[in-house]
Amino acid sequence: MENNIDFKNIWQQQKVNEPNKDELVKKLKKYKSSSLRKLILSNVLLIATSVLIILIWIKFQPQFLTTKLGIVMVILAMVIFLFSYNKQLPIFNKIDHIKSNQDYLNSLKKLKLKQKYLQTHIMNLYFILLLAGICLYMYEYALRMTASGAIITYLVTLTWIAFNWFYIRPKTIKKQQLQLDEIISRFETAEKEC
Amino acid sequence: MDFDEIYKTYWQKIFRLCMGYVNNTDQAQDIAQETFIIIWQQLPKFRHESNIGTWIFRIASNNCLRQIEKEKRIIKTELPINLEVEIQESIEPQIQLLYKYISELPQIDRIIISLELEDTKQSEIANITGLSEANIRVKIHRIKERLTQKFKDNGK
Repeated sequence: MENNIDFKNIWQQQKVNEPNKDELVKKLKKYKSSSLRKLILSNVLLIATSVLIILIWIKFQPQFLTTKLGIVMVILAMVIFLFSYNKQLPIFNKIDHIKSNQDYLNSLKKLKLKQKYLQTHIMNLYFILLLAGICLYMYEYALRMTASGAIITYLVTLTWIAFNWFYIRPKTIKKQQLQLDEIISRFETAEKEC
Repeated sequence: MDFDEIYKTYWQKIFRLCMGYVNNTDQAQDIAQETFIIIWQQLPKFRHESNIGTWIFRIASNNCLRQIEKEKRIIKTELPINLEVEIQESIEPQIQLLYKYISELPQIDRIIISLELEDTKQSEIANITGLSEANIRVKIHRIKERLTQKFKDNGK
């Protein structure tokens, strides 16, 4: 094989049928609606839960401050979760596509680091608010039960809470972090190659 | 330049850039389409003081780099070993080899060589990647050397 291979010539012979532009537009619409659907779905679920809790408040008229406080905390937990979930999308789209490759890689990496920080803290906050809220909320109703009933109810709830706190929470956080760490290290490798 | 015109002028170029990056037709088409979606969204923001080609290639190459996030250690498919014996006179295997070799390069090198092969000026490549022109010159030289070597090794 000769020393001077005409790479340009070889390169430019790679052709592929240009897809129909209408197809692209269709895809564009689908893409827009699918991300919107995902956003709406998660919002609807959490908002519905919050509305249900508020309805319970109105219907059963809790007397104790602890009950009200519990309700507020649970709703707050959901609002924070919603806020952070929705917030992620705009941050993501805010990346400037017109940056140079080097700057782009750098901002992708920074974004992931930020996401990593936020995810862990918001996850912790979410669990604390949710679990503490449930305990407070139950107090009023537990008082109306027999002593053994109340103890069992609290025991079951606390076991469930412990399971969430010591098993589900670290597992979720770890999974998220592992994924992010891998992506971050890939960005770092690409950055080093610049 | 309106979107239709950009689409016609740049589709093949962008596709080749993506193809050099991933060496997989389906994936390259997907990334190219994604790129045009971004171009379509960003076009109203395009300011005419910069070159449209540079602008488009920045979006396209950044979108390729974005794949780093998605790719799950893609196992690249190997070409059949006896390929060059069968169809020696055809240029086809050479195209395949070139794209395969390019896709094996480091991320940024793939973009640099793809742009170079698209006849992009070195100053523009520097502008797109954010590296210095001198650096680009050296890199292009090295990449071409490396590719030539790979072709030689393959041809025995």
